[in-house]
Amino acid sequence: MASDRQPADEPEYGDDIDQSAFEQILEMDEEDEGREFSSQIVFDFFDQAVATFEGMDEAVQKEELEKLSQLGHFLKGSSATLGLIKVRDACEKIQNWGHCSDELNHNPAPLSKKDALKNIKNILPTVKEDCAAAERILRAFYNAND
Amino acid sequence: MDNTSQNGSTGGGGSTSSDFVRKLYKMLEDPSYSSVVRWGDDGDSFVVLENEKFTKSILPKHFKHSNFASFVRQLNKYDFHKVRHNNEEGGGSPYGPGAWEFKHPDFRSNNKDALDNIRRKAPAPRKSNTMMDENLPTQQMDLVNSQLVATQQQLRHLEERYSELSMHHGMLLQELMGIQKTVINHDHVLQNVMTFLQSVDAKHRRDSRIGGPFAQQNGTDMLQEIPPSEDLPASPLANATKLLDELASHQLNFKNLEHMNEMHSRTLTITTPPPGARREPHSAASSSSLAYAKLNDLDNLVYPAGPNNGIDPMYSEHVHNIPYPMPSKETQSDPRTTFAETRKKSTQVDPGWIRPPQILLVEDDQTCRRIGSKFLYSFHCHIDSALDGLEAVNKINEGSTYDLILMDIIMPNLDGVSACHLIRQVDQTPIIAMTSNIRSDDITMYFNHGMNDVLPKPFTKEGLLTMLEKHLGHLKKIPEGLDGIPQTASTIHPGSHSIKDEASPGSPSTASNWASPNQFSGVSPATTGQFPQQPAFAMDQMNHVAHQGNMHYSAPTTPITASRGTGHRRQISEIGPDDVGNDPKRTRIYATTNAAMNQIRRV
Repeated sequence: MASDRQPADEPEYGDDIDQSAFEQILEMDEEDEGREFSSQIVFDFFDQAVATFEGMDEAVQKEELEKLSQLGHFLKGSSATLGLIKVRDACEKIQNWGHCSDELNHNPAPLSKKDALKNIKNILPTVKEDCAAAERILRAFYNAND
Repeated sequence: MDNTSQNGSTGGGGSTSSDFVRKLYKMLEDPSYSSVVRWGDDGDSFVVLENEKFTKSILPKHFKHSNFASFVRQLNKYDFHKVRHNNEEGGGSPYGPGAWEFKHPDFRSNNKDALDNIRRKAPAPRKSNTMMDENLPTQQMDLVNSQLVATQQQLRHLEERYSELSMHHGMLLQELMGIQKTVINHDHVLQNVMTFLQSVDAKHRRDSRIGGPFAQQNGTDMLQEIPPSEDLPASPLANATKLLDELASHQLNFKNLEHMNEMHSRTLTITTPPPGARREPHSAASSSSLAYAKLNDLDNLVYPAGPNNGIDPMYSEHVHNIPYPMPSKETQSDPRTTFAETRKKSTQVDPGWIRPPQILLVEDDQTCRRIGSKFLYSFHCHIDSALDGLEAVNKINEGSTYDLILMDIIMPNLDGVSACHLIRQVDQTPIIAMTSNIRSDDITMYFNHGMNDVLPKPFTKEGLLTMLEKHLGHLKKIPEGLDGIPQTASTIHPGSHSIKDEASPGSPSTASNWASPNQFSGVSPATTGQFPQQPAFAMDQMNHVAHQGNMHYSAPTTPITASRGTGHRRQISEIGPDDVGNDPKRTRIYATTNAAMNQIRRV
């Protein structure tokens, strides 16, 4: 029943996407509506991610660490729900660095504001790229199913 | 000669008082001292020109001491005054910068008789004055201090007494609630037995009246037509039903009790009221919770008594609500496989509610919210959602009632913990924190503010379902599947069939909460079955203090040792058997007292 239902039953998970988490989302799709539910969520997420990254760029410019932490937390939640683990991990780091904490790197000493900002600045391009990579995979998956 | 007359006159005026003055006068008569001490230029004062010499050589001769300060003090006693020379009047003393000039109106070089007028100033008031000056403040201070200490002590005693009493009060409440739960459980067992007996009775009567007006073609008809007056159940049954009904009404008190318990724990817990804390009048709260309780009671009553004695009308109603096709006789395996076959995929899990639970999902992130909603939907829940804590609080304040609230923690406008705190002022709905911040101190904080549980993010479907089943046990269908139930019932009544299926191992923790007596041993921590154990543990607490209390929450949390105020907060339903506020309670009391003490000290 599963094989003839969809051309591709699952995306190429790879390192970017956590299979079990994403499968949970796919399971939620109503059969007679294609992948409408999950695709909506996924595409909305990427819109949200783009907007969040813009917010992060701006916050870096203004050196607003607290804001960065908030945005990191925000995107962490949704990316984790979708199983975008790389994005999630990076966001968690941003969230922590925003509070000048480096505990994720097993470094108990608090960071200076400057270092925290520098770390975030450095990771931002990476997380954007990770997110884009995940987006390519998922868009390919959903397009194939259209 | 002068001396004797002086002596005579002083003898009349009080020899001691003028002795000093006399000596002073005599001293000034000695011209050899003139370079050190002499009469002033006008003869109305005397001047000490060389302080040091005067002190060392003259004072010992005439006054038997060599202390200039006491000499000056003596002068003061006799009302001599040091003459001060203001700079305007000639720039310092005319006798030199180091000179001391003393003056008394009756102390003149040419008027020896006036010396009699020089009297020691009344010593008593002077003395008492110094007493006042020096001692009174310290005395007062001492007095105030000792009063303060006493008050502090009293306060502390009161504080201790209060915490002790509150603790006992809390224990008693817990115990009472446990007993209430036990009663409810018994009630349910009784209801099941009643249902069974009822059907046996009905069958018996039916069998004895073959061909009667109510000959049965199909079971549904039969069950619905039992009530008519000619077919009243045996009177013992009716009596029992009545009793059960009375029992059920006690559940209202139970809600009150819960409310009281919450109030109690709130006063004990040290909380920081979030900004803009809004307190709804408690009357509103209790009335709403009463209404809620009533509703619950109805839903819980499988076999309510009353005018229409017979099968619960609610029951037939939820037969209609069964969200999937009535399973036929042969699909008696796992309800979910049944479901998967009759519907589409095996994603829809029906946990078997007696009615769809009302869930409030508070989440600012739309991805999480949508997925959470979807999961809940698939669990046959009715979902309401709020985008932040403020909206959630508003919904509650507007009177919306839910069976469960899923609450994100970090949200704009009002965070989940503050929202929970506010909701707790008026409502006891279980609140589950949904968060990725699950460090033990975070979790302690959640519990301290009235959260009932923690669902770590990102949550899985299974995790969410487990949480629902844990906290909504009272909404689970009560399995009807007593083995002795007449065949007619099982073939005729499709509803009971599916219910029976729910109890199968297929659905986790669906296993009957109340139905079988062995459930009461408290095996399953997630179900209400454990309650009967509660009182025993509470009793334990009364008797000894040093009970090793390991707080363990079901969620993947680390043991919380120094948590304050969690014991009372949580619904009994998720307190593990060895978890009934032991050390934490103590710690809290200690902390409370301590805090109070600190406050006193600060005052």
